[in-house]
Amino acid sequence: MSNTPVMEVRDLTTKYITRFGEDIYAVDHVSLQLWEGRSLGIAGESGCGKSTLALSLMGYYFPPLHYQSGDIILDGQNITQMPPDEVRLNVLGTKIAYIPQAAMNALNPTRRIIHFIQDVVRAHIPHMTKNDIRNLATERFEKLGLPKESLDKFAVELSGGMKQRTVIAISTILSPQVLIADEPSSALDVTSQKMVIKMLRNMMDEGMIKTMIFITHELPLLYNVTDDIMVMYAGQIVEEGSAREVVFDPVHPYAKGLMDSILVPEEGMRDTKLAAIPGTPPNLKKPPAGCRFAPRCKYVEPRCTGINQDLRVLRSGRASRCWRDEDELRRKYASER
Amino acid sequence: MKHKIRKIFRSPLFLVGFGIFMLMLLMVLIYPLINPGNPLQSIGLGNFARPGTYVSLYDSVGSQRSVLRLPEADSKRVASLLGQEDRVKMAYWLDVTGKDIEGLNINDTEALLSAWKTHYDGKERPAGMTKADRNFYERLNKRLVAASNAPALSLSETDPASGETVEKGSIGKDDYVNISAVANVKTLPLGTDNFGRDVLKELVSAAGTSLVIGLIAGTVATLIGLWLGLLAGYLGGWVDDVIMFFTNIFTVIPGFVLLILISYSIGQDQRGATTVAVVIGLTSWVWTARSVRSQVISLRNRDHVNLSKLSGHSVLRIIWRDILPYILSYVIMAFILQVSSGILAEAQLSLLGLGPKTTEVPTLGLMMNWAMLYSAHLNGSWWAYFPVIMVIALISFSLNLMNTGLDQVFNPQLRS
Amino acid sequence: MKGYRKYFTKKIVWFMVTFAAALVLNFFLPRLMPADPVAAITGRLASGMTDATAVSRIYKQYQAEFGTDKPLMQQFFTFLGNLTRGDLGTSFSQYPRKVTDILGSAIWWTVFLQLPAILVGWLLGNVLGALAAYIRKGFDKVLLPLTLFLSNIPAFGMAVILLVVFAVNLKWAPISGGYAFDMIPNASFDFMRSVIQHYHLPFWSIVLISIGGQAIGMRSMSIYELNADYVKYARFLGIKDRKIVRYVFRNAMLPQVTGLALSIGTMIGGALVAEIIFNYPGLGTTMYRAVTMADYPLISATTLIITVMVLLSAFLLDILYAFIDPRVKAAQIN
Repeated sequence: MSNTPVMEVRDLTTKYITRFGEDIYAVDHVSLQLWEGRSLGIAGESGCGKSTLALSLMGYYFPPLHYQSGDIILDGQNITQMPPDEVRLNVLGTKIAYIPQAAMNALNPTRRIIHFIQDVVRAHIPHMTKNDIRNLATERFEKLGLPKESLDKFAVELSGGMKQRTVIAISTILSPQVLIADEPSSALDVTSQKMVIKMLRNMMDEGMIKTMIFITHELPLLYNVTDDIMVMYAGQIVEEGSAREVVFDPVHPYAKGLMDSILVPEEGMRDTKLAAIPGTPPNLKKPPAGCRFAPRCKYVEPRCTGINQDLRVLRSGRASRCWRDEDELRRKYASER
Repeated sequence: MKHKIRKIFRSPLFLVGFGIFMLMLLMVLIYPLINPGNPLQSIGLGNFARPGTYVSLYDSVGSQRSVLRLPEADSKRVASLLGQEDRVKMAYWLDVTGKDIEGLNINDTEALLSAWKTHYDGKERPAGMTKADRNFYERLNKRLVAASNAPALSLSETDPASGETVEKGSIGKDDYVNISAVANVKTLPLGTDNFGRDVLKELVSAAGTSLVIGLIAGTVATLIGLWLGLLAGYLGGWVDDVIMFFTNIFTVIPGFVLLILISYSIGQDQRGATTVAVVIGLTSWVWTARSVRSQVISLRNRDHVNLSKLSGHSVLRIIWRDILPYILSYVIMAFILQVSSGILAEAQLSLLGLGPKTTEVPTLGLMMNWAMLYSAHLNGSWWAYFPVIMVIALISFSLNLMNTGLDQVFNPQLRS
Repeated sequence: MKGYRKYFTKKIVWFMVTFAAALVLNFFLPRLMPADPVAAITGRLASGMTDATAVSRIYKQYQAEFGTDKPLMQQFFTFLGNLTRGDLGTSFSQYPRKVTDILGSAIWWTVFLQLPAILVGWLLGNVLGALAAYIRKGFDKVLLPLTLFLSNIPAFGMAVILLVVFAVNLKWAPISGGYAFDMIPNASFDFMRSVIQHYHLPFWSIVLISIGGQAIGMRSMSIYELNADYVKYARFLGIKDRKIVRYVFRNAMLPQVTGLALSIGTMIGGALVAEIIFNYPGLGTTMYRAVTMADYPLISATTLIITVMVLLSAFLLDILYAFIDPRVKAAQIN
């Protein structure tokens, strides 16, 4: 493993501009590093800015999402400073690939899979022949255990799980370095979900992709899939650490709340709703002045509503955004059990 | 709900449509108060009087006179006598006889007249002109001379007792009367139609009738469509199959064909405006039924409906409390569309000669039909049909705008 | 092809069912009405006659002609029997011409006028709607309300306006008819030229009305598709916008084919009324004359033929749709 990350994101801030001209900062000073061979999970309730973060990481913005500030360094280049067409040509699909949230509808319903793959490949390698593209796709499908017959099918002819795995295969057809998967498995049944996750891990192991970001609202899933976990709340990172640490020893009250809402980190409990944290994430048009979680936090103190604590490195080597001391929090959590 | 309503009234499309519609509605309600009377009454003899202000010639003779010497009066009087064709012919004569008409504008009456006066000579015989042509010019010249000299007209009256005609006075070319002194002045902003009816008054009344027809047709169609859609969607099973079977059949069999068949069979004497409206409603419920059904199907397995079912509420109560409120916006939109297509259907039916019977009320379609029967479009009487077309277009435009506005509020995807 | 066969069989069966329903309606609707059409016609024909026996004789003659003196079901079967022999009865107003004879030529005038006009209107409307959806700014603000207004001018209104502007005032085109009134239809060049001259105004008035509705439908369909997930996905794979726009318009256009199939009845209805304005020798004008002349057999036959035309075009569009949208095939297999 080299000692420079594959991709580094520094203080990235992006915003939505509404029809009425209001700015909504859905990604607020987010920094992260992606290392070769290590995958990163991002967790949080819906509406926390996870999906927006996924979109923002690609350096390709179109309305209503706009770039505000920060850097995304990939291969020594800051892609936020590149002209959009260059990003499209040299980054999207070739260096960073994306798997959308609703993969069910991600494929053009009236285009055969192979034709769509042609469009994807030709967007980056204009002169590649149809035959070569077919060979590439067949080889890749076989390697990933997908039937090569589906190449000549339309998306509607594939089952849900098959569609999702096909989307993953298409996204990674050009062996990108970074794969950003936004809830790739949440709409699937348990078996298909397992297959998708196995496939993603497999691709990391085979070196088809160097690193991966996996976004989900299901924390236990992350523990099984990724090496590190970041917890996001209201557009900000509130806690980060290794998967084991965040899942079994959460520090930030929000991360704790997320974990508590799932009693046993097993797939059988997948349907349990996040009922443990009362309230909903704040309206990002007017976020609370202090800690953004303060209005919902059980352990709120006067200083929490005044100033928002920065993400700080704890004694245990992880980072969290809570004002309180980590051991004090652990004691409180233990006493409540 | 309040929030939605506020949103609707912030949608510019809806507002414009609503404004136009309200304006027309106000016109329909208020105009009859200003100008009361039967809209079907013939006030004019003869066809198609032009729009404008009509001054009683008889009354103006007796009114208080003033003498005004207006510098342009003569040329205006002559100009009003000269049609476009006369002007072209005058220029032709001048040209053929080799007069210098370089730069002469035939619409400049004064220049044309002065050229004519200096050059015209009845004795000249331009090449290629027949006797009839020369006679035409002679007559034209006489008319022009008479108009510019404008001798006084004498007024005379026949004594009923003796039968003698006695001169009572004369009218000179500089005599004027103040229009407010004339007892009978009538402004007909849109002239009269082929029956000599006041078109504006008729139009306002027709717009009212057509709106009522649209409302009745829309209500009938929406009620039928709503209930069929609710039953089919909510009950499902064989009820759904049966209803959808008929709905599908009536989707492809064109509604207006049924409309024609029914209207014809009812017979002219039975066809009042209400009957026509009901028949239109009976033949146009299909779309409402279809869209209500698909909405209900997407609703019927929602949690709150299931909860209501478990609580043992009756089907009617569930439909009324748990389903209807959710599809209300669609039903309203469908209703608005039905109103506008109902108005159009009446117009088309009337043009085919199958509209409401003609003796009771005017409708937009009937006005259009009369105008076409009396060739208003061929004889230049635009006021008899053009306003009618515009009113139909504006009513349905405003309704459609409102609908588009509602659609954008209720289906926000279209807005982004 | 296997998937398609099931689809086509279903469509053909459905076409037969609707056709049967149309026949039943066309026959029974007028007969179930309270009024007695034969009596009404006799009344009109015999107005001024005082001799009761003469009136009764006329009534009986028409009763026999129509067969209204027989039970309803028997009448229906006679009607069906005649229909299979291509006999739709005898016209009243042009006695003793056969109804099929009168309609024989009218059908072709209508088909050749409306089919191209509706297709051209559909195409132009879709292109405009797609442009409006793609360009949005300005285009959307100015052209959308304008198109919306234009599409709300009724077909006959558009016909009258075009007629007055281009035929009466500008004299660019003849005022009425399908060909010059002093000509007898033949295959000569002069006749064809006259037909084309007379064709323009009715054609463009139908095109103009069709454009509006189609453009508005296509616009919202395209906006819907532009927001679809596959657009976002294709973008983030680096596919060029121009290519994505092609996906979008193809996909937005497909439902428009079905839309055309469903709205073709209304469109033909409007266009028929426009024919009347131009006195075009098609079905609309025939129907109008039949109504004014109280020619009952002619009206009934015309409505039947219009229904069949609408059913056929909807059927053909459905078949066409199956070939251009792969989703139909997939739906049949699963």
